Amino acid sequence: MADGAGRQGYSPPVPTSRLVFQGVRRRFGRLSVLEGVSGEAAPGQVLLVTGPNGSGKSTLLRCLAGLLAPDAGSIEYREDDRPLDTAERRRRVGFVAPDLAFYGELTVRENLAFFARLRRVEPARGLALLDRVGLPAERMAGTLSSGMRQRLRWAWALLHRPRLLLLDEPFQNFDAPGESAVRGLLAEHLADGGMAVVANPSSLDFDHVDTRIDLGR
Amino acid sequence: MWTPASTWAAEALAVFVKEWRCEFRTRYALNTLGLFAFTTLVVVSVNLGPLGVSTAQGTAVLPVLLWLILLFSVAAGLPRTFVQEEESQTAVALRLAATPSALFCGKLLYSLTLVFALAALVTPVFAAMMNLTVESPGLLAGALAAGGYGLAAGSTLVAAIIAQARSKGTLFAVLSFPVLLPLLLLAVEVTRNAVLGDAAGVALPQLLLYDASVTIAGLMLFPAVWNP
Repeated sequence: MADGAGRQGYSPPVPTSRLVFQGVRRRFGRLSVLEGVSGEAAPGQVLLVTGPNGSGKSTLLRCLAGLLAPDAGSIEYREDDRPLDTAERRRRVGFVAPDLAFYGELTVRENLAFFARLRRVEPARGLALLDRVGLPAERMAGTLSSGMRQRLRWAWALLHRPRLLLLDEPFQNFDAPGESAVRGLLAEHLADGGMAVVANPSSLDFDHVDTRIDLGR
Repeated sequence: MWTPASTWAAEALAVFVKEWRCEFRTRYALNTLGLFAFTTLVVVSVNLGPLGVSTAQGTAVLPVLLWLILLFSVAAGLPRTFVQEEESQTAVALRLAATPSALFCGKLLYSLTLVFALAALVTPVFAAMMNLTVESPGLLAGALAAGGYGLAAGSTLVAAIIAQARSKGTLFAVLSFPVLLPLLLLAVEVTRNAVLGDAAGVALPQLLLYDASVTIAGLMLFPAVWNP
C-alpha cells in the first residue's frame, strides 16, 4: 500500500487539469447549432453556458464530452499537463444530461456496480455516492421517479472521481433535499480542484460562476 | 496489481454478466429465439418428418434446414444486442464508460453463449424428429461450434453497425446477407460431411478462417462504428 493511503482523512494532492476549446462549430444537416464557440475552465472553476432552448448548450457539452465530433474548432483537455485524446477524454469526464439513462431491469446498486467495474473503481464508491444523493440501492432503476433518476445520474457521473464535470441542466426535477445534496457534491468537487461546465437555460440557479458563455440568439 | 489486459478482460466480463442479468429478467432474446426455433422445428418435422425425406435426400436437405433454423432464430433475437442500448438511451453511459473492444467482446461472448445454447437444444431434437443419423458426431460438434461462433460474431458485428441507423430491421437483413452467406455455405458443407461420415475437407479450416476474419474485422471496425 502506498505511504499514507490508508490514513483516515488523507487526501492525495490533486494534479492540475485544464479545458480549452476554441471556435467549436457543429451543424446537423443544414442547421447550424454551434458557430465558433470558445471558452476555458481551470481547477476550482465553473463555466456556465446559458441560452434559450435550441441554442446549442447540450450540443456543446456533448462535443466537450467526446460524444459528438465538432465540424470545426479545437477542444483540448489536459490532465497532469498531458493532453488527452478524444477517447481518453470521453472516459475521464463526468457527465450529467437529461437523456442519460440506465438499465431499468437492474437495481440502482447493480447499475452502479456494473459501471464501477467498467470504470475500474471499487463498488463501495457507488454505495457511498448513493448514500450521499439519498437513493435506495435496491430499487429497480426502471421504477425511479424523474428526480430519483437525476440523483442516479449524479452518482454515476461522480463514480470515477472525474476532474471535469459536464452538467446539462443539472438541477432539474430535484426536490429541495435532492438539490441540496448535489450542490454539496458539486461544492466538494470544486474544492478538491475539480472543474465544471454547466449548461442551463438561465443563470438564476447559480450563486458563483467564474466564466459565462451566452449562446442566446 | 491489475495489468491492462486483466482490466480489459474484467470489463468484457462485466458486460457479459450484465447482458445475462438483464436477459434473465426480461427474457426477450430467450423467448424470441426459443419460440422461433420451436415453431420452425415443428413446421419442418410435421411437413417432412422422418418418413417424408428419404435417406439420400435427407443428407442433402437436412443440414440446410438445420442451419436455416439456427440462422433465423438468431436473426430474430440477436440484432437487439446493440439496438436496445440505443433505444433505451443506455448507449450514452456505455460510450462514456466502456472500452469499445471490451464492450464488443462482452456482447460477443453473450451472443456466443446464446447461440451455443440454442444449437445444443435444437440439434438433438432436430436429429431425433427427422431421424437423422450422424456418422461423425465429433465433426458435427466442430461444425456447430465453428458455425455458431461465426453466426454470433457476424450477427454482433452487423447489430453494432445498424444500431444507430434508421430502418434497423431492413438494414440487418441487407447487411447480414453478404456477411453470413459464406458462413452458412461452409457450415452446411461441414455438417453434411459429418452426417455422411466424410472427412472435414477444406470447409472446416475455411470456416475457422471466416471466424477469425469476422472477429478481427469486428474488433477493428467496432470503435469507429460505436463512437462519433
